[in-house]
Amino acid sequence: MNGDIEPVPVAPPWKRDFPYEAQSEEEVTRREFARYLVLGAGTMAAANVGIAIWTQLRSINTGEPRAIVDLAAVDIGSTYLFHYPGNDDPAILVRLTDTEVVAFSQKCTHLGCVVYYEESEQRWHCPCHEGNFEARTGNVISGPPTRPLGRIDLEVRADGTIWALGRHT
Amino acid sequence: MRTSAKARRTSSAVVLYVIVLVAFQVFLITVAVEAFQTDTESLAWATAAVSVALFAAAAAFLRYLRP
Repeated sequence: MNGDIEPVPVAPPWKRDFPYEAQSEEEVTRREFARYLVLGAGTMAAANVGIAIWTQLRSINTGEPRAIVDLAAVDIGSTYLFHYPGNDDPAILVRLTDTEVVAFSQKCTHLGCVVYYEESEQRWHCPCHEGNFEARTGNVISGPPTRPLGRIDLEVRADGTIWALGRHT
Repeated sequence: MRTSAKARRTSSAVVLYVIVLVAFQVFLITVAVEAFQTDTESLAWATAAVSVALFAAAAAFLRYLRP
């Protein structure tokens, strides 16, 4: 007898007793499984690159000058919500004094929650993680955010209309 | 075709590595979405770079998988 002879595969006893074939017995090999995983990894990598491109393109759009609201329609210490530069970009302005109006992106720079104005504290407050920003500059006062709010340049024109001129990120 | 125990162990290790890399890709997706929400371009690009590198590593691991 030669020791190099390959052993003939023997069917297990249960297979001899129940010799039924099922479609589910078609196995996915380890290599196929790994290929599916790598394919999934490639899809997610492509998605990550797409998200990065989208993020970059969105920040490039600083907005076109456009009228927002009449100054007279906003009381001192009160706010006005609008969208700028795009229709999906929430923004908020506050009239601090008779002539001073400032506006910021309403998205907190920590995790994108909506900030609102606290007149008693003269600050922008994010209720999600207790982030606070200065009312006039949008700089961080406290909390987890590390970057100031996105500022929107405003101009009050001769007819009393507040115009948004552009956004700083 | 018979394969050695070492080759089988290598294949199992490769599949495990790839599974870990894919799990890390899922985590990177959440980081990218977070960067998108907060308009943090630098984080978004860094995430994309790491993600592509992980994909390349996972593809390279396939070479060590026995047929």
